[in-house]
Formats: sequence, C-alpha cells, structure tokens
Amino acid sequence: MRLRSVVRMMDIAVEVSGLSRGYRQKTVLDGVDLRVAVGETVGILGSNGAGKSTLVETIAGLRRPSQGSVRVLGLDPWRDRARVRGVLGVQLQEAELHSDLTVAENVRLHRSFYRDGERPEELIDRLGLAESARVRTQHLSGGQAQRLSVAVALVGRPRVVILDELTTGLDPEGRRDIWRLIEQMQERGATVLLVSHSMDEVERLCDRIVMLDEGRVAIEGTPAEIVNGTGADDLEDAFLRVRERASARRAS
Amino acid sequence: MTVAGYDIPRAARPGVRAWGQLVLAEMRSVIRDTAGLIIPIGMPSLLLITQGAAASQEILPGTDGRSVYEIYIMPLMLVMVVALVGVVNMPSFLAAYRRQGLLKRLAATPAHPSMVLAAQVVTSFAQTLVGVGLALGISAAMFGIVGPAALAATIGAFALVCAAMYALGMVVAAVSPTPNAAVALGLVSFFGIAAVGGMFGGAQNLPEPVAAFGRWLPYGAGVEVLQHAWVGEPISWQPVAALAAAVVIGTACAIRLFRWTR
Repeated sequence: MRLRSVVRMMDIAVEVSGLSRGYRQKTVLDGVDLRVAVGETVGILGSNGAGKSTLVETIAGLRRPSQGSVRVLGLDPWRDRARVRGVLGVQLQEAELHSDLTVAENVRLHRSFYRDGERPEELIDRLGLAESARVRTQHLSGGQAQRLSVAVALVGRPRVVILDELTTGLDPEGRRDIWRLIEQMQERGATVLLVSHSMDEVERLCDRIVMLDEGRVAIEGTPAEIVNGTGADDLEDAFLRVRERASARRAS
Repeated sequence: MTVAGYDIPRAARPGVRAWGQLVLAEMRSVIRDTAGLIIPIGMPSLLLITQGAAASQEILPGTDGRSVYEIYIMPLMLVMVVALVGVVNMPSFLAAYRRQGLLKRLAATPAHPSMVLAAQVVTSFAQTLVGVGLALGISAAMFGIVGPAALAATIGAFALVCAAMYALGMVVAAVSPTPNAAVALGLVSFFGIAAVGGMFGGAQNLPEPVAAFGRWLPYGAGVEVLQHAWVGEPISWQPVAALAAAVVIGTACAIRLFRWTR
C-alpha cells in the first residue's frame, strides 16, 4: 500500500453502505459497501452492466439511492448536493461539453462555477492543451477531448475526483498521458475513484480495486491481494476467475 | 465544516460571474451555429410581410390612421412568433443538450437548474428581440405603420407576453427527454393555447366558454394585452393576471421538474 494511503488511512473520503439502486424492476446495485480513504485511489472494475457507472453517478449525487447511504467527506451527495458538488471533480461517460466553444472557453465556463479553483490558462498548459486552447471542442482528437474532460473535472480543485472510463478508445500514447495526469492528481493528495476496463491501468494507478458483478461487490483488495487470493496469474486472469465464481454461485 | 482535514465550504451558489459565463457560452454557441437563428430572426419578418400587403391598405376610422394590419394582425403575429420561439424553438435546444449529455456534465458541478434555464431564455429572448425589431423595421418601411400609441405600455406588455411564453417553454424544456419530445410537447402546447386564443380566425368567432377560457391562457391574454397597449386603450386586469400567473407558475414548475438527464 502506498505511503499516502497509510498516512491518511483513518480519514474516509467516500463511504457507501448497503447501497441499492434499481431501474424499472431491474436491480443495478445490490447492497454495495465501499470505503475510500482520503488520498487513496480506488479502481472500480466490472463487466458491462455490472453497475460501475451507476455507482459513481450515485456517489456524485446524480442518482438517488433506492436503499442504503452514500457519504462524500461526511456529506450526503443527494441532500447536500450544492456542497458536495463544490468539492467533487467528475468526468462521466456520455457527458459532453459545449461543442461550439473552444477549449479555453469551456474551461473558463466551468471554473466560474466554483468559488476557488485553478487558473484556466495554467491548467490548460499543464494538461498539454495550450496549442489547442482556441480550438473548438468539436474539432479535438479523442485524446485532446479526454484531456479537456480532465481539465474540466479538475478546474474546481476538487478533493474527490471521479473518472469513468477515462482512457477508453485512446491510443497507447494518449493513455500514458492521461495516466501521468492522474499520477499528478495523486501527488497533490486527491482521492480518486477510477472506473476502468483496463487491467494494466488499474494495476498501475490504483491502491485498491473493487470488482463489481451484477451490482454486488465480488471482491476487493490491493491488486496483489486479488491476484494472490484468486490463485490467478495476473489481474485479468483474476477478474475472469471472479466472474466465473460469481456466475457459478448464482447458478447453484 | 472540516472533514478529514479538508475544509468543506458552505453551500455557495455560483455567483453573477457564472451566470454571465453561461449566458456568454450560449450566445457564442448560437452565433457559431447560425442554423438556429432562422426561426427567431427570420420568421417574424416572413410572417409580417406575407400578412401585411393587403391588410395594411385598410385604414380603420378613429385610430389615427392605423390599419387593420397594425391593430389586429401585428399583435397576433408578434404573440405567435414569441410563442413559437419560446414554447417550441427554445426547449428543443435544451432537450438536445440533455440528449448529448451536456446537462449531465453540468449536473456534476455546482451549477443550478435555474442558471441553465435562465441562460437559454436570455439567449433566446435576445434573438427574438432582434427578429421582432427587424420585422417591425421592415413593416414600417414597407407598410408605413404609425406605431404604438402608448410606447411604455406596449413595451411592458410585450415583455410580459415574452416572460409568460418563455415560462411555459421552460416547463417544456425541463421535462422533455429528447429534442423530438420537446418539439412534440411544444407544438401541442403552442397549438393548444393558440387555438383557444384566437389564432385561427379570431377569438370572437370561438364559442363563448372556449374564448373565455382562452383569455386565461398566455396566447389569448397576450394578444389582448398587446392590442390594447398598442392603440393606447386601458388594459383589463384579467389578461395581465393570467400572464403574470403563467410566469410565476411556469418558472416554479420548470425549476421543480427540471431533469439533468433523460
């Protein structure tokens, strides 16, 4: 476990207890428990439809829990939406920016929503977008658009950052750039929840991993604990084994 | 409040700067994607010019030289334009944002629904003002309109009509999951209030109970208020109250029912 997690282990940034959430008769989350320490980076893995996005959207206060509770830095993200959103930085799937605005205009717009935050020009420069600052969002490449997503998520200088499948669809170079950005966030002490399908990504970036299967936590621990605990060769193998065991349990 | 060593700021709504930035963002988007300007800026002139050729020749006695066009057609057309833009056109943009996920992105920030709605209304209203101003200028040049007898009352009446129509449009925008749904709901609302408000042949030709009901809705009330203000006649309290009620109820419902996602 990394030093920054040990130092602040007693401080809980995100606490999810018995969280359930359903849509039209279908249970998407079923009694999920999760604790994320301040400064920790937790990866959320799972197959498509496992409930990963619903979990992080509920933590972000965009969805109301059917049962259970969620706390972000001690606050209920649904009831204390205004306060929680002031300390959260969120990058979600299927969430676009103004396509007719430039990179700089989008960042400045989002900066205006927060009392404190980064200087837009400095942030744009830090994220390697300086040359694209005057380019409209609709003309950005996939990697540039993802960097802008990160910029917008970070511009309010958030204490807790939620990143949902940030590197999906990026080329290797783009992924590496985004990884370096996340490492910079970690160095600054941010708590990060990272939803991903990429095993090498979570292995590199995350202190702990939570694997969801059909709305339930199937296993959690450090990457090494999960690999060793499942008797797998690597994290991908462990993921598949956990899936198989969960399917077998459901079938029996 | 301090949690886990972090100072958690009190709930502070974004300030004037954020409202301004959001309006500016909308204005920029509109200017850069000019297709959206056709209805609010082009339609008022089109409607007034096509209706004005014949009706502007018929001068009504005792009206200081004002024509049928100026007293009857123009107020009706102006209310129609504002209703179409406010109730049908403006909500479709917000619904498109909802479908694209732009509202979902904003939902994760401290931005409040009222900011998003207000930015849409301000931007759309600015376009309407340009469109109506252009249409009135063309009408004056082509048909020689005399102009309102009571300018302040006419401006006030027009502002109230706009506020009422946009309030209704905000409700449509708040609840429509997709642009198609927004257009469908907007058109049903538009034709509903317009039909009982006298758009098809005048309110005087409607059955009395229907006409009385229409006077309580934004279209019928809007036409009555604008016509009276234009010729300088006293305005009854009833249509003013109807428009004010539409503003208050519509705005409150829109903020309450607003959905960030589909």
